[in-house]
Amino acid sequence: MSDKMYQPTNLLNKWVQENNELVNKCKQQEGGGDTLSRDQNQTPLRSYSSEFHKLLRKIQGVPPLVNHTHLELSVVYNACVCSTAQSQFTEAELLLIQAIQRALQMTGDEPVASNRTVFWRTVLKSVGNTTFNTCVRYLLCLQWAIWLATCQLTIIQELKEELSSLFETLCGGVGDDKKNEARGKSSDIPLLVTDPRGLVELLQICTSIIQGAERLSEGQSSEALSALQTASSLPAPRALLAYVHFLSGSCLAHMSRPQMALQCYRKALVTDACCVSALYQSMLIYRQLGNTQAEIQALRLLQSTLMLPSVTVPALATTHLLSPSLLLCSQSLSSLLSVPSALSVLHSLALKCVLHGRVSEGVEHYLDLLAALHSEDQHGVHAEAPALPRLPELYLEAGAALLMARRPADCMALCNEVISTTLELLPEKVVLEDPEETSEAETRDMSVDGEDRVGMLLWTGAAYLLQGHCHTHLKDWKQAVTHYTRCINLLVRVRFKKKGFQPQITSGDMVVKQGTHLCILQRLKGLSLAGRGISFTQTDQLKEALRDLLLSLQASPECVGAGLWCGEVLWRLGRRQEAAACWEKTWSFTTQHHSAEGLPVYLQEPQSGPLLDSTELRHRIQELGPN
Amino acid sequence: MEGRCAVETWTEFGFSGTPYTPKIKFGLGTNVFLCTGSDEVFVFSTQERKLRAVLQFPGPVSDLVECHDKQLLYVSCRSGVYCISFPFLLSRVQSSPADASSSPAELKISSDFLVVGEEGALSLLLVSSVLLILSQRDTSWLLSLYKTPEQTQSSSYEMLGSFRLPQVLADLNSDTEGQTGTRRRPVLVCVHPGHPKSPSSSSTSSSEMTITDSHFCLEPVLFKLLFGIDAALARSPVILCGLPDGRLCFLPLRLPGSQLRVLRSLEQPVVFVGASVVMETGPGLARCLVAVGEQGRVVLMKTDKGEPEGGGDMAGFIEGCVPGPVVCSFVDEHHLYYSTGSDLLVLDLSEGSSWREGKERDGETSRKTAAAFQSPTSLNVCRVIALAAPALNTTGDVQLLGLTIRGQLQRIILPAGREDAGSSNLPSTQVGRSVRDLLSAIGDVCERASVLKTAIKSKNQILRHLNHVLNISFLLLANKNSEEHLPMQEKQIRCYAETRWSRLLQKDSLNLTCVLDNSSPYVLEQGWTLSITVFPLSYSSSAEGESSSTNFSFPFHNLNPGETLEVSLPLSAAGDTSFPMRVSCSLIFSLSSLLGEEETAHLPSLQSSCISLPLNTLTVDWLHTLQVNSPTMHPISRNATSQSSNITTDTVQAFLNSHRSRCAGRGEGGGEGASKAEREQCSASVRVSSELLRDTLVLKSSDLDPRGPKSTPQNLCSSLLDWLLYESPEGVKMGHQGDRFVLSSSVVHARGPTGDTVKLTAKEVNVGEESLRAIEVQIESSSIAAVCGLHHAVLRRIQYQWRRRQQEVYFGLSSWCCFLWQCNNLQPPTSTCV
Repeated sequence: MSDKMYQPTNLLNKWVQENNELVNKCKQQEGGGDTLSRDQNQTPLRSYSSEFHKLLRKIQGVPPLVNHTHLELSVVYNACVCSTAQSQFTEAELLLIQAIQRALQMTGDEPVASNRTVFWRTVLKSVGNTTFNTCVRYLLCLQWAIWLATCQLTIIQELKEELSSLFETLCGGVGDDKKNEARGKSSDIPLLVTDPRGLVELLQICTSIIQGAERLSEGQSSEALSALQTASSLPAPRALLAYVHFLSGSCLAHMSRPQMALQCYRKALVTDACCVSALYQSMLIYRQLGNTQAEIQALRLLQSTLMLPSVTVPALATTHLLSPSLLLCSQSLSSLLSVPSALSVLHSLALKCVLHGRVSEGVEHYLDLLAALHSEDQHGVHAEAPALPRLPELYLEAGAALLMARRPADCMALCNEVISTTLELLPEKVVLEDPEETSEAETRDMSVDGEDRVGMLLWTGAAYLLQGHCHTHLKDWKQAVTHYTRCINLLVRVRFKKKGFQPQITSGDMVVKQGTHLCILQRLKGLSLAGRGISFTQTDQLKEALRDLLLSLQASPECVGAGLWCGEVLWRLGRRQEAAACWEKTWSFTTQHHSAEGLPVYLQEPQSGPLLDSTELRHRIQELGPN
Repeated sequence: MEGRCAVETWTEFGFSGTPYTPKIKFGLGTNVFLCTGSDEVFVFSTQERKLRAVLQFPGPVSDLVECHDKQLLYVSCRSGVYCISFPFLLSRVQSSPADASSSPAELKISSDFLVVGEEGALSLLLVSSVLLILSQRDTSWLLSLYKTPEQTQSSSYEMLGSFRLPQVLADLNSDTEGQTGTRRRPVLVCVHPGHPKSPSSSSTSSSEMTITDSHFCLEPVLFKLLFGIDAALARSPVILCGLPDGRLCFLPLRLPGSQLRVLRSLEQPVVFVGASVVMETGPGLARCLVAVGEQGRVVLMKTDKGEPEGGGDMAGFIEGCVPGPVVCSFVDEHHLYYSTGSDLLVLDLSEGSSWREGKERDGETSRKTAAAFQSPTSLNVCRVIALAAPALNTTGDVQLLGLTIRGQLQRIILPAGREDAGSSNLPSTQVGRSVRDLLSAIGDVCERASVLKTAIKSKNQILRHLNHVLNISFLLLANKNSEEHLPMQEKQIRCYAETRWSRLLQKDSLNLTCVLDNSSPYVLEQGWTLSITVFPLSYSSSAEGESSSTNFSFPFHNLNPGETLEVSLPLSAAGDTSFPMRVSCSLIFSLSSLLGEEETAHLPSLQSSCISLPLNTLTVDWLHTLQVNSPTMHPISRNATSQSSNITTDTVQAFLNSHRSRCAGRGEGGGEGASKAEREQCSASVRVSSELLRDTLVLKSSDLDPRGPKSTPQNLCSSLLDWLLYESPEGVKMGHQGDRFVLSSSVVHARGPTGDTVKLTAKEVNVGEESLRAIEVQIESSSIAAVCGLHHAVLRRIQYQWRRRQQEVYFGLSSWCCFLWQCNNLQPPTSTCV
């Protein structure tokens, strides 16, 4: 008889011991396995999970007893933590609910509400001051985590009161805690894999972050902001606090307060230096404000931060089994946090530098970029939205930058690369459809054999143009003429076809949309003809020069160099009035608009060729004036 | 011996039904790695020609790849990818016991060697320092990239990223899975742009740029056309991935923002992706990519020269279909080798390249292409399921390494003059067929033939059956036409019967045992049914005659010539006087039995259609129904004794019966009862010429001397009665319980079907003044029905016999018989003279 009397307690002790051993093993693993990635962590986690579930089945094999409840709910907590950590949310939730219902059978009342909100309210009420009050609270924590991880924000909102009181009781009750801890030392108290106090803190901040992000994406910036500001005082890991600051900044940016937004972003960066999204967003604000220097600075910082090995994966320190990354899975948050790839940032940086007078720096960045593209460590893994331009364009941009930096030989090498790649594939003749149909035609071309034939032809043309510029720079006029001619020969292969008309060689009087193939074609034509014309002037072939320059102006009237040199040739030919008119016209164009804006950098007019001094020309006009 | 392959079997492993397709790979110097799809990887030394080591993994091995630079072997298993270093392997192989020459070293690979814990890895590829793992996740293909560490010791494999491609047409794979239980491994190869020794390519990777079976260097133009300018500019290797769902996907490895894109779909599981030089370009540069599908679809991808007017070069896809399933395949410089499982075939690709020369004649070229694809040259090597080329190929002749379905590792040396043999026609290759190849070919043919054979056999069976049926039909129809002339005995298929009294549940009943006798040369096969209709003769003309007829059917299975079928049917119960009865027999054949059940199910009209062929008609008359009493018994007491002898236990019944008869006798008039009964008896007599009888009966009992004892009048009388009672001139005879009584006397007492006693007496009488001797058969009974019935029966018998006799001997005898009716209460019977 006495044996039978003692057996339950013996069993209880055995189970407690088993649970505690498992928890200790689990914690050791956690401590030692920091270096392991999340994926590799799954395997031991899975085994622990199954162990806890096995133990739970044993415990639940006997009818519910009051003195077993504490142990049972603790094991449920442990098993659920493991399941949740493996993203098995529905299983965990089911287990949790069933365990609570089983526990409540002992108190007599059984809440059977299908509604989760009502269920938990009744549970909390009926548990009241019973012995397993705390255990149920811990399980509510887990339920909260599951809701958060599955983005069920409405339930969280509905149970706001209960959850906040839960937070207060768990984090506020210091004395209770002490007692708990003291008792935890003895071996008969079941241990928990994760400290619920730490968990509830984490949940609180994560909930604030996700709610903030959701509100922000719904456009309720001011509400989001106030909630976030209260959250910023919560105890939390640095990375999460940085998120709070970052989101506050985003709210402010939405509310058109860029300076305050910048302040918040700065705070985020101070809190966590790896918060790249704050850096990226501040860069965007600088760009918006037109502060180029600051923008370049931000880009540089962003790029160097992204190049750090650990940053690419958001390094939210996994101190718990339930990591913040598991809890922060909202779509709107991740879209807010998204940052372009390092290479894309590097490209923006290089382009900005080149466009804003920091040519040598820009060239260095371009070369870095090309080196990165060719390195063996480069793998096309990142595929975010603001992708890099096509590689030939990148080469041409880099080439143009090199030329600007007076490195014509390097530029020519890059252009050779492009030419050698594309030359064999160029079509003998190609018809460019009406602009309205371009996109359609392009997609059709792409689908045929993966490449846009017209685009390829224009790249090759641009490469020849750049080579021509290089030779011009080197004052090798003959070579320059040859390369410009190659470019022109390529360009005349393109026929333009308007709807209902025959294909024709393009002319300058057509209305051309920016950024289209046609626009680039015309620009190329203008530049190459101008380049050849200028080269002819240097070899005193004035007639040819005049013809080319006039054609150039026809193709692309806004070409300043062509205009000025055309005047010069006319002047030399003795047609001084015409020359003066030509100069005047050109100057009026340059003051009117900057047509070069929006064009790729390699289609800008060369700065390195033979130049005409405008003041000297004006003198000439003045001298001519009386006539 | 031109055109014959030299096949040399190196070793044999026993394996069967593995979860993954097997693979052979050269590596570790002159060794070969074999993964058969089971848990083991075998290391075979080609120099020593023996198995050096067996690596035992914790799960089925799906793929393996080796890293030359770092001397590593990566093996993918169900639980992940394992990495084993060659020095470790070699040290273990060498440190194994001294008698290592005999047995290979066995190495158990534990989870310590696990480097990437990715589950379900199907294919591996190593591109410089990147390990690519293709695995299948729920509904998508996952290509994961891992960076291998610089130091061998380090075990950190950093995941660089992964690409996902949603799965389509999952059934394509499951189809093959279902058939063979083997999972087809996706093909993973790497294509490099340009020359392997290209100056701009990084020097570190030069060693792996050599062409192996999963790395190719593709001619730049084709590379650009297939994979785009950007990949070419970045000099990025491109991963080609042939999936079991038929798609051929590509991924530029080093291009930012690149994605897995579909290049082409073969619409059947991709078995092989390779590259061939095809044309006379520099060494190592492939000008043609080849993809082969499981059902024989071959796609060649090469550059098409652009038309002079308009566009430049284009990527050309030539599609064709080679006959037969493709189990495994391999490409060398000019040829595509593939195994169908029953034969190894070779297709000349350089021939195919010339097909495209004339672009204008598109129709013709495509026809030629199809023709070339349809006529691969057989190499007569069977059962190859995995192929690999030896790493060193110094001699110039083509060597292949094959693994057969039985687990034999074979070296296949192709004949030097094979090219000529391939371009010329087949006969030369057929000369030197090895016995093995012939056997395998025979095996193939056998299998196909056996299917046809069974079909033909069943058709023949049906035809033969039908033939039998028709033969029997004709036979019986011929019988019917000449029924009158043919005596019954001469019919080849006929029925005869026997009546038999039986007693069941204290009720006497008359059973008819019908015997179908097949003396025809034909078998009565399944489908025949013996149908017997019984109806009383007297009602046959009346209106309600149909209602009293009974039909019995007896389907039977097989009745060979000379065999008989005996069926039994109840004729009437005691007390029923509807005799004589006519028993008409016929054979019925149901057409539905000719075809199988499933065929007839579609033809409901056939189920009821049948052929009905009348056999013959039997008559059961009163004579057949008589139960003859033992001649020694007294006619009066016979009734009781017969009953008591039948049912000896039922003495009470006997007592009651006797008591009742006594009472009845007493009631009817005491002692006069018996004489009165005697007086009320009806009688009828039939007179038959004794000369005729003597002839007939003596003729029948031929073995006796015609002047023997039978010829005496006394004998004649008894034999007449014997004949009447026991012979079966018309095919029906009376069965007898127990022994047949020897009729010694000329008086027979019997009991009719109604239970009345009947007395038959035969005696010799003189008729008329000419002293013509005749035998008179007198029938006496108290029941007039019995007398009438028996009189009719006797007359019928004699008439029948006399008619037969007329046929046998020409009628000319002065024979006659006379019938005499005599009844106490009736008019004197008329006597008829015939």
